[in-house]
Amino acid sequence: MASKEAETPYAFPHRHLLGIEGLNRLDIELLLDKGDRYVELNRQHVKHADALAGRTLINVFFENSTRTQGSFEIAGRRLGADVMNMSVATSSLKKGETIIDTAMTLNAMRPDLLVIRHSASGAVKLLSRKVDCAVINAGDGTHEHPTQALLDALTIRRRVGEISGLRVAICGDILHSRVARSNAILLNLLGAEVRLIAPRTLTPPGVADWGAEVFTDMRKGLEGCDVVMMLRLQQERMDGAYLPSAREFFHFYGLDFEKLSHAKPNAFVMHPGPMNRGVEIESGVADHKSRSLITEQVEMGVAVRMAVLETLANAKPDIGAKNA
Amino acid sequence: MTARTLIYNARLIDPADGLDHKGGVLIDGALIADVGPHLTRTAAAELKIDAKGKCLAPGLIDLRVKTGEPGAESKETLATASEAAAAGGVTSFVVMPDTKPVIDSVALVDFIQRRARDTAKVKIYPAGGLTLGLEGQKMTELGMIREAGAVFFCNGDQAVSDAGVLRRAMTYASSFDALVASRPDTHSLTRNTVMNHGAFAARLGVRGAPMEAEWIALARDLTLAETTRARLLVDTISTGRSLAAIEDARENGVKVACTVAAYSLFFNELDVGDYLTYCKVFPPFRPEADRLAMIDGVKRGAIDAIVSAHDPQPPEDKRLPIEEATYGAVGLETLLPALTSLVAQEHLTLLEALKPVTSGPADILGLPQGRLAIGTPADLVMFDPAAPWLCDRDDLSSRSKNSPFDGRRLEGRVLRTWVDGVTVFERA
Repeated sequence: MASKEAETPYAFPHRHLLGIEGLNRLDIELLLDKGDRYVELNRQHVKHADALAGRTLINVFFENSTRTQGSFEIAGRRLGADVMNMSVATSSLKKGETIIDTAMTLNAMRPDLLVIRHSASGAVKLLSRKVDCAVINAGDGTHEHPTQALLDALTIRRRVGEISGLRVAICGDILHSRVARSNAILLNLLGAEVRLIAPRTLTPPGVADWGAEVFTDMRKGLEGCDVVMMLRLQQERMDGAYLPSAREFFHFYGLDFEKLSHAKPNAFVMHPGPMNRGVEIESGVADHKSRSLITEQVEMGVAVRMAVLETLANAKPDIGAKNA
Repeated sequence: MTARTLIYNARLIDPADGLDHKGGVLIDGALIADVGPHLTRTAAAELKIDAKGKCLAPGLIDLRVKTGEPGAESKETLATASEAAAAGGVTSFVVMPDTKPVIDSVALVDFIQRRARDTAKVKIYPAGGLTLGLEGQKMTELGMIREAGAVFFCNGDQAVSDAGVLRRAMTYASSFDALVASRPDTHSLTRNTVMNHGAFAARLGVRGAPMEAEWIALARDLTLAETTRARLLVDTISTGRSLAAIEDARENGVKVACTVAAYSLFFNELDVGDYLTYCKVFPPFRPEADRLAMIDGVKRGAIDAIVSAHDPQPPEDKRLPIEEATYGAVGLETLLPALTSLVAQEHLTLLEALKPVTSGPADILGLPQGRLAIGTPADLVMFDPAAPWLCDRDDLSSRSKNSPFDGRRLEGRVLRTWVDGVTVFERA
């Protein structure tokens, strides 16, 4: 099925997927449309396509991740690619060898696609400059996580409807969240009304420029929302006291049914995972059959990553190589 | 009698006297024997150099340079830094004490002076550590280190965080009228930061250094300078509000001078662009309004000295994700071109731009050079203030190439440099 892409009149102009910033509406819609088709494939009994047969995908995770790495691995395998996982976080590369040395080494193995996660913002972009193949950012520091934003958009589009005109709240640790950054940009591009809800210590400076309204009062912020996106409270990133306690955070910013009742009557709930139940989200809300989209997000993740891998592996790198 | 050298047909720039006119300089041995419009081609001299109308100014004096000597010679030595200095028209510079080991004893001050004398092309003055090991705990032998030749005392890149230690060190220093340099930084607010705190840093997803870190520390330092009556040199301010605070203190009789890094006059926070590690410096590039406030401070004469903040860092410490990269940028060779570029952009006149790199720092340290005056050392720079060039880091003389000016178009280039009457650099 993937070979039928010739009908798409718009060619994806980028060599890499480093962030949502730099993409336009057409780029995003192209990836979401393809993702839609892969959802159908993934729901078949035999989930195999050959769009990437003979191509090599290397997952390089400088920061541990089970979900994202697994999702990319399944996406690559379903498209027929040879997939290799490198967990650099535990290898000897940690110190001594620079990320650029690592990039040169990987490049010499002639992969077609590199999926990279790194704990430092901008690290994936730095690495992408030193390799010849397509690079996909699977999360860099507190900068961007573009495939998460794409899978969230696909989830919303399929379950809630056209994104334009929806009111979406992103709640929690905005400051340390690459998911929040990517989602805020993407949802704005597609015409949603974005609201950010967080205490001031977890709100980035200059957030007014994000095209989003900022709330410190969660109940007010949730008013009229179609979708409530919760963020993981990144405890491991907190090196100071951004919050007095997890308990206080839950009291003011944890999503329970009472707070959710301030959103639209049938508002949907999302979370990029992994969840801290009882910290940012109450279990009952997270597991709610009709309102929680959390497991569906995981399913959409595989489909959207298949769309990204196939698109970049077959992109013509000459067009957008300049701003890559 | 020694051979005399005449440089004629020059545009003489002497910020000490505010003079910008045609004329010549007569060098006799190591000193300026005569200077003025009357020195034309016909004046008596054994060697005559036609400046062809180009600028002739006192050699630049730079109050903030780091090298890797001793301890990290692969980054830079006093000798390689002096090559870069000569190529940039800098004829005197002060080296910071944060080396390995730290310059916190008479013996190490002596070491720097000896190495400078034996290996360097330009004049190098050591700054002494204010606290032992720069640990911010115990003061060094300030009096003896000063007698040995340290021109001022500072704690290197780290501000002394303990106000009690700083207060005592300043009090003690004031007994010798020693100059204490302090970096206005509140480390607890700037630890692990990459650039200026603000919307752009948030967009890049990196930690930013808020400006209040500078204001808080500066308020403390100015207060201590007032109460201890020590002479204070505020080391590299970067915001307009800091300058206003310094001017207020000065008006109230506090003995305070301040410096600004040349890069703070040239770049704003947006220049960090795509995580450019060569633009990771401290203090960081600030918003445009603050850059313009710094230029205005130079124009009004409120900023006493402009420094290169030369800080060589090798590729293995810079070719990293920006959060992991070290701070610092080389700057000796681009100091004068950065200033002449600001002149070309009509922000400053040549006299305004050069005063904080000649007589300004000379007056702070009490040095005889930094002026075109009879009987002073013949430390001179000849430059073309309008020559356009493209800065390529690989062409720089410094052993490390971490320049934020890499790839930038600059206007103004050094043609020839003299130290004590001897040519130390000449552009081919």
